[in-house]
Amino acid sequence: MRALSIASTGMAAQQTNVETIANNLANMNTTGFKQQRAEFQDLLYQNIQTPGAQTSDQGTYAPNGIQIGAGVRTAAIYRVTTQGDLQSTSNPYDVAIQGSGYFRIQQADGTDAYTRSGNFSLSPQGQLITQDGLVVQPGIAIPANTLNVQINAQGQVNATVAGNNTPQTVGQLELTRFPNEAGLNAIGNNLLLETPASGSPQAGVPGSTGYGTVQQGYLETSNVNSVDEITALITAQRAYEMNSKVISAADQMLQQTARLGGQ
Amino acid sequence: MDNSLLVSLSHQLAAYRSMDVIANNIANASTPGFKRENAKFEEFVTYVRPSETQTGPQALSFVKDAGVVRDLAQGELSSTGATLDFAINGKGFFAVLTPAGIRYTRDGHFSLNQDGQLVTADGYAVQGDGGNITITPDDGNVSVGADGTVSSILNGAANQIAKLQVVTFPNERDMIKQGANLYSTTQAATPSTESTVAQRMLEGSNVKPVIEISHMVEVMRAYEMTATMTNSQEQLMRQAIDKLGSMPN
Repeated sequence: MRALSIASTGMAAQQTNVETIANNLANMNTTGFKQQRAEFQDLLYQNIQTPGAQTSDQGTYAPNGIQIGAGVRTAAIYRVTTQGDLQSTSNPYDVAIQGSGYFRIQQADGTDAYTRSGNFSLSPQGQLITQDGLVVQPGIAIPANTLNVQINAQGQVNATVAGNNTPQTVGQLELTRFPNEAGLNAIGNNLLLETPASGSPQAGVPGSTGYGTVQQGYLETSNVNSVDEITALITAQRAYEMNSKVISAADQMLQQTARLGGQ
Repeated sequence: MDNSLLVSLSHQLAAYRSMDVIANNIANASTPGFKRENAKFEEFVTYVRPSETQTGPQALSFVKDAGVVRDLAQGELSSTGATLDFAINGKGFFAVLTPAGIRYTRDGHFSLNQDGQLVTADGYAVQGDGGNITITPDDGNVSVGADGTVSSILNGAANQIAKLQVVTFPNERDMIKQGANLYSTTQAATPSTESTVAQRMLEGSNVKPVIEISHMVEVMRAYEMTATMTNSQEQLMRQAIDKLGSMPN
């Protein structure tokens, strides 16, 4: 009886769905987090009678075949890369990206990672770093006796140093984009890695064609919509329940089969 | 062998088949663009010799599976917010290029690959009027019109990229399901004139939980009745053997 295994694929898929929703809800307040969604596909079909089979030599055809499906599988869990809301923080080193692009971060092992989360700080040496102490690329050093830092929409970092009223340019923020940003590999800590699916990174100046602009003193909130998630959670829970009902119905039928001729 | 057992058996096999189809519908209740199916059965009639008290030939009806009928009703459209999610409202399919040739799908969840081509979740290229569709990062957020025209604003000017192929077939029920939300067919595709494409939406599965669950209970109960009948038939036979076989002392 195939119904048992078909329903179990359904339960497994809905479990993945609930896990994805739980992760979205858990990251509702994570800076720069992108909502994820599980995508399902039907499994292979067993052709007992192929549609369009000939039913006589007079050219009559069966309008319907007999194809029995094998259930469902999770095809992908993809990120919905829509813009999150910008939230004012009045912290001079908080930078939000408005539009497409990622900040490039150098990891401890020297390789590059990418992030939308722009809550940066300064290292003891005055370098712009993430909350995990990783250096934002290209490295930007803020002079020690700086009074005020201004980052404009094009990512130019200007510092006003004590004793000099004219701001000096101390660095330029850079954005990186990908042919397929949904193909980036999330490794936690708000970081993403390049993969063969994402395509190669293309660096550019904020505000140029195809790149977003940056906003100083703002953070990009997650794009998770709690109403959407709760609705999806209810649907997933009901679908899970239905699949478990199929299992118990199939089980009852098998019990009756086993009892046949038993008395 | 008594015919009634064989008639019961034909029904039991049919009930198993129905249950498999219902289980597959329910398992795919969240699969975008999935079309629910219904197992259809037909009567298979044979004639047996009449018994002593009957006149004329006696008809005996078995159950035989005739086909699995696909319900092509539109699934509900739900908003996903993803730029490259598309739903077809009305008849028609998107065409995608797979290694085995052109396949058709109602699941419009697409993304870009490393070369910027519009592909399905399995990486198969979605077909536009001029073949594969390439969207460069310079295009930014593309917009897609109701007729499937993909365009963007490039350097302040409107830029038409391609037009999504939406095709129909003379008999859509005749298409063969390939799994992975794909269909294949040997019929000739014609551009769809009675459908529109909606961006940032996906077509849900057209499985209706209430219908499937009530159908499932119906099949289960019918199976139960047949099983009871088989049991009593078997008892009857055993009693007959006991009674007739016991030698008078």
